[in-house]
Amino acid sequence: MAKARLILNELKKWKVTHVVGLPDNGSRALYQILNGESGIKVVSVCREGEAFAIASGLYIGGKRPAVLIQNTGFLESGDGLRGTAYNMAIPLVTLIGYRGYNTLGSKREDTAATFLEPTLEAWGIPYYMLHTDDDVKVISAAFEKAQETFMPVAVLITRECT
Amino acid sequence: MLDKKDCLRTIARYRTDEIVITTMGVVRPWAEFSSGDLDFASVGSGMGHAADFGLGLALARPDKKIIVLNGDGSMLMSLGTLATVIDSGARNIIIMVVENGTYEVTGNQPIPGAGAISFTAIARGSGFRKVYELSEMEELERSLPIILKEDGPVFVNLKVSPEDEPPPMRAEKSTALYITRTIAEDAHRLRDTLLK
Repeated sequence: MAKARLILNELKKWKVTHVVGLPDNGSRALYQILNGESGIKVVSVCREGEAFAIASGLYIGGKRPAVLIQNTGFLESGDGLRGTAYNMAIPLVTLIGYRGYNTLGSKREDTAATFLEPTLEAWGIPYYMLHTDDDVKVISAAFEKAQETFMPVAVLITRECT
Repeated sequence: MLDKKDCLRTIARYRTDEIVITTMGVVRPWAEFSSGDLDFASVGSGMGHAADFGLGLALARPDKKIIVLNGDGSMLMSLGTLATVIDSGARNIIIMVVENGTYEVTGNQPIPGAGAISFTAIARGSGFRKVYELSEMEELERSLPIILKEDGPVFVNLKVSPEDEPPPMRAEKSTALYITRTIAEDAHRLRDTLLK
């Protein structure tokens, strides 16, 4: 598992101005620290598709947003992501909580996990895996990739942040 | 009932330097009155995502006012955005729902709840304090100067008659100038304008 503080440090390093999203159990600690932190504003949405539209508007307005959602919400938000961040060529990093990662390959596999990576691949969205503290550097790699390609890029957080 | 074109013409007449975001059946009629650097068509975008895109702009640029000319069907697709707007604290966004009760661009099929739904009640229930329902031109003429100057967020329900506008498409030869480029080109063009 990764420490929320380390993830926050990465977001700060990239001068993220807004985190747009919807909390889940895995991101609870990260939201807690974000809400208590000055400098990065949290924009709470009712449904995840909104997050991509709002983040796109923020970027077009000159800010540097990131999205923080769970895979269930990511799967819900397909058209929002396609129509805004993707079609508008927004270099947007999205942190996605990978609910059910540990169930992959098991009898009780969580389909929120089953369909996540195939969906990202089908949509041509590059992604990086973040399992532990040692992996937080992938957040920087994601920002670099997003800036280089003007595309949404995902970071999949496979365990609860602490 | 308002005539859609008269209604848009009047808004364009009172509008000064606000960013205007249009979608669906409003896109092409709006271009007859304005198609400049601060007009953005949510065409080729996510369905029902004009208002939340506008919210992002509003949060990024509190010094600018954002007018979203949304459709009723589009608003229904993301009603939660009204709550999100309130929660965000944005004060510089005016959401106008152009309500004709139908999905006009796909052949005027009735929207769910047509004739029964109250967008103003939903807006008030979401926390909007400045809420207008306008169905006569005199009311629109009288209210617009106030609406545009008011501290927001503001919600305006414009009751218009259904027409037969076809789906807006981005095309190089479109007569609506602000949809002659790709949505990415227009989005980044708007960004360049705002960052000047």
